Amino acid sequence: MQLTRRDLLKTAALAPAFGQAAAVKLPKGKADACILLWLGGGAAHIDTFDPKRKGDGKKVAGSYYNPISTAIKNVQLCEHLKQTAPLLDRCALIRTLSHDIVSEHGAASNLVHTGRMPSGTIQYPSIGSIVSKELGTKDAALPSYVVMGYPNITRDPGFLGAKYGYIYLTQIETGPNGFVRPPDVDNPRQDRRETLLAQLRQDFEKRNPEDHVIRAQSAITEQGFKMAGPKFMNVFDLAKETKTLRESYGGEFGQRCLLARRLVQSGVRFVEVSFNLNFLNGSGWDTHNDGQVKQHLLIQDLDQAFATLLQDLEKNKLLDTTLVVIATEFGRPPEFDSGGGRGHHSKVFSALLAGGGLKTAQVVGESDELGVNPVGRSVSVPDFHATIHCALGIDPAKNLYAGDRPVPITDRGAPLVELFT
Amino acid sequence: MLRSLLLFASIAGLTAQPIKVELFEKLTAAQLLAPPADAKPVETYQEPAFVFVRIPTKFSGNALPMDRSTPFGLRASYERILTAGEYRFRLRARGAARLEIDGQAVAESKAQPPNKTGDDPVPPQPVREDSPLRPAQYPHQDVIYRVTLPAGNHKFVLTAVIGGSGLYPTPGELAVSFAPIGQLERLLGPPSAPYLTDEAWDRYVVAVNQRHDAADIVRRRLASTAVAAEWKTRHDKIRSALLNTAGPAVPALKSGLPVNNDIDRFIGARLESENMRPTAITGDLEFLRRLSLDATGVIPTPAEIRAYLADAPKLRRPKAIERVIASSGWADHWVAYWQDVLAENPGILKPDLNNTGPFRWWIHQSFADGIPFDRFVAELLSMEGSAYQGGPAGFAQATLNDAPMAAKAEIVAQAFLGQKMGCARCHDAPFHPFKQKDLFSLAAMMQGKDLKLPKTSTVTMIEGGRKPAVVVALKPGQAIGPEWPFAALVKHSETGTLPNQASVPSRNDVAALIISPENKRFPQVIVNRIWKRYMGLGLMEPADDWSRGKASHPELLDYLSREFVLSGYDVKHVARLIFSSHVYQRKPVADAAIATGAAGRLFTGPIRRNMTAEQLVDSLHLGTGKVYECEDMNLNPSGDRAPNQFLNLGKPSRAWQMTALSNERDRPALALPIAQSIVDVMSAYGWRQSRQNAATSRDDAPSPMQTLILANGILGTRMVRLSDDSELTELALADMPLNKMVTEMFLRVLSRPPAAEELRVMGNLLGDLYAQRKVKGALKIDASMKSDNRVSWSNHLSAEATVIRMEEERALRLGAKPTARLEPQFRERLEDALWAMVNSPEFVMVP
Repeated sequence: MQLTRRDLLKTAALAPAFGQAAAVKLPKGKADACILLWLGGGAAHIDTFDPKRKGDGKKVAGSYYNPISTAIKNVQLCEHLKQTAPLLDRCALIRTLSHDIVSEHGAASNLVHTGRMPSGTIQYPSIGSIVSKELGTKDAALPSYVVMGYPNITRDPGFLGAKYGYIYLTQIETGPNGFVRPPDVDNPRQDRRETLLAQLRQDFEKRNPEDHVIRAQSAITEQGFKMAGPKFMNVFDLAKETKTLRESYGGEFGQRCLLARRLVQSGVRFVEVSFNLNFLNGSGWDTHNDGQVKQHLLIQDLDQAFATLLQDLEKNKLLDTTLVVIATEFGRPPEFDSGGGRGHHSKVFSALLAGGGLKTAQVVGESDELGVNPVGRSVSVPDFHATIHCALGIDPAKNLYAGDRPVPITDRGAPLVELFT
Repeated sequence: MLRSLLLFASIAGLTAQPIKVELFEKLTAAQLLAPPADAKPVETYQEPAFVFVRIPTKFSGNALPMDRSTPFGLRASYERILTAGEYRFRLRARGAARLEIDGQAVAESKAQPPNKTGDDPVPPQPVREDSPLRPAQYPHQDVIYRVTLPAGNHKFVLTAVIGGSGLYPTPGELAVSFAPIGQLERLLGPPSAPYLTDEAWDRYVVAVNQRHDAADIVRRRLASTAVAAEWKTRHDKIRSALLNTAGPAVPALKSGLPVNNDIDRFIGARLESENMRPTAITGDLEFLRRLSLDATGVIPTPAEIRAYLADAPKLRRPKAIERVIASSGWADHWVAYWQDVLAENPGILKPDLNNTGPFRWWIHQSFADGIPFDRFVAELLSMEGSAYQGGPAGFAQATLNDAPMAAKAEIVAQAFLGQKMGCARCHDAPFHPFKQKDLFSLAAMMQGKDLKLPKTSTVTMIEGGRKPAVVVALKPGQAIGPEWPFAALVKHSETGTLPNQASVPSRNDVAALIISPENKRFPQVIVNRIWKRYMGLGLMEPADDWSRGKASHPELLDYLSREFVLSGYDVKHVARLIFSSHVYQRKPVADAAIATGAAGRLFTGPIRRNMTAEQLVDSLHLGTGKVYECEDMNLNPSGDRAPNQFLNLGKPSRAWQMTALSNERDRPALALPIAQSIVDVMSAYGWRQSRQNAATSRDDAPSPMQTLILANGILGTRMVRLSDDSELTELALADMPLNKMVTEMFLRVLSRPPAAEELRVMGNLLGDLYAQRKVKGALKIDASMKSDNRVSWSNHLSAEATVIRMEEERALRLGAKPTARLEPQFRERLEDALWAMVNSPEFVMVP
């Protein structure tokens, strides 16, 4: 047998080849699914999860809202997270996430999704694709990675290939793209279509006997139609939930969170829910200028949906096995811009991990007086990723392969060990 | 060339009084509105009416597209006789413009303010006056001037400022129209000039673009006449020298295997020695479909099929080969390939993810003009021309990359020399003969000076960590000087001068060394790429990494390489040889063991392939007879941002013109729903929306998503909908027997007539409704999709912009309105038949 370079790399036990610290015992969590709530635009940490003394919205820097106390002693949140506050003991709050990309949303979003800067040598996969690959599907008839939001590069599978890509929907009502039949095709029509297709296919196979590619193609077609069958599509039918529950989740973002729970329950491994309804305040989380004025509407929407999601997961006994992550590309500074909003700030900002069997009810890291710099330890994006991977039982130092080139899952990220028992 | 130039002149001459247009550069905006008497125009041409939606492309001496100064200006002068009376003039402009009548300034539009945020309001729907007049599109201004003019000759002069700091350097819908009071306005020009109505405008703009496209081709070919002659001289010399050496001996075959040309002798000799039988020859129609896809990227049309079948059987294939090689699709299909290999990766929204400029346009022009491939390499490496309007300067860009030239060196080395140096970006390559220094010294040559190793392009050691297996010889911050790293291929001393002289001399050296006739690797790598593209597998694998592979047929590689050089580095010559060979014309290898094992490399036949994403999307449109509808690849149609932030890649008409939709901000108002529906299909079929790195092969293995997106997705649904923009609707309405209609449909979609059994199935499906299929008196329904062009980056944060785009998404999902001219029941059945045809494996597979 001819050894490939990949074999060589494996047998030579080169795991620390790229300067990895000598093997330490990594924590291994028990979560088997992850819901990422993505606050695109750069949510202001001091207006949400890391409240500071109040500013005046003009010259005096500081938070925009009053703080309230939470289920964790001496830890406060902004007043618009009032449903989340009593549930904060189910969460681990990271208050010193930090990176260097402050000017560009695209680059920062890509960094937080992939854990790396683009190199031009390979395209790095998103965390959703990595989790989807490492955990595999729970059910072969199900996709393992679902995005509620717009398809874009930051969510792509990169060198892992289309197999680890996502299915997506941009609006709850339209359902996942490619899975929902056109509105004018009812069941009898679909049956007619598939019968005609089967006839054409059989003819083609008859004319090309023993053609392995055609056979593989036909098998894949079957698998596709099966995937879009009622088993999976029923998951998208939110009407199967009680009206009370649906209403308690709130608006479009809340409904997406409800769908996320249903997806995880059905066996999907990674769901990214985008909070991209920027029309609520005219800017989304990217609160430059007067986007600040109605920012509380976004926070309240997030609060309602997130708190309901935690309780709903808990009620369904899914919270210990489902890691819920709230993340954003960067935070915002305490100062106000000339229009009364805020610019971008990446030296310190917040993220939150909930459930997933983690040791919650704690805060990791502390930012200074107005949330500008970390006091002591900061958490890098690779560390943040490593923590998520460990919670899901994935070794963050494991090599993935871009062709035959080994690429560790995280760029030497170290998990936050205090979150593991 | 000369003939088309004359033709162009004579078309322009048809208008009695052509409008003289002069372009000015490097003046201030104020000067451009009133060019000083001594200002010399950089270009002078003619237009038939006062519509300036398109400006001639500026070309360098190498025919590379160039940027004009920003701002630049336009002055249009015209005289015509008017009858006495009161007139209304309309100046329409996005930015500053001025209209003079008889020496007097009568209307002036304001300069466009550059946009700073996305917080502008969405403007109200343009007001439709009580007439069919085309309203001003956002953010254009209309300046109206009413005047009573005496009878006689009048002089009109329009001056306009185009582009400027923070603005897009395009004219928008710059136009002047006029009419006697109370009448419908025509564009200013001869009495027969078009009316300013939507329909007439759209038609006129199509004609303008066609005219300018044709003129640009003439101008760029003319611009490079001298350089082209120098390349020819170089090729003649290389040819004479090469003809004095012996080529590889062509083997004789013993067993009577079929032979079309020498390729078959090289392939046949190995088959004989390995005791393998070739696959059978393909049928004529299968061959035509494969050939069309491979050469032009699309399936053949029924007209092409009929013309082909009308040829004598012996002449069919040779004639078809000449036709496809001469087709305009030739360039289209090659662009997609080099976009991958050269990592063309434009970003249309504040590019920040290793984005390049859109040098796709230069790739297209190179293949459309038949630029010799060595010249193509030299032009690419010059990295000159326009960065944002499609020149090779766009290749130099790599936004937010810590060492752009290292990225480019890596691409160039694997594209043209099969030297894969990716690992050497951060450390000495463990399994390739490259040190990190090799990559950076090539990068320094391309930079034209020493390069400092960025600290992010290295592997830092963790204290206490185990000793790494990779060697990191360079230190961050260390300077690496320019040096040719591939002395084994060709010695640095072989650097010669080239007809294209890049302004950075060491870039010229890189090009000269790559394309040096002493460098045998270059032509081998290129012919191997061509072979792999048409045969499904390279003579050398991996085609972009020659440091470890072994050629399956080294003599054939030599032979093709020699043919390539003798032809003057003509890709078409090599393609013609391959297309003409028996091995290309055989049935694909169907046996998995052979196709995927070592025996596949004996080439009993081509390796079975599926269509590429681009072939699929383009063939879907062609087969179903639908025009390519899509929004402009542009997220700031208001034009108030500079091209380095918001690139406008125009309205695509072929799939390679798509690009990443760059909605990393995940905002509904930044979505382009029609484009997304196309990108969804392409992404499932292996197209990479982000080409951050070079790739020779795509990840396009069959997946359930491919099935689903085609069967249920928005594009697939639109393609099979029998609406009044579908040629198949017209086919279904034409008077002909059912069998003939079905046959025609099979020809269109599957490039073959239906088998008897298929005719029977279609007869059962459609027969009982066929006689009564037409709805009497029903009218055509507009099925085109509208994109509201009021939404732009400048106002995308408003709730209204969000609502507009989300509504468009919903409407799109419903699909085009079906025709009312066919009975619904019949139409649905025919749509279902069409659906089954495009979703069958036969449609997506290359025969």
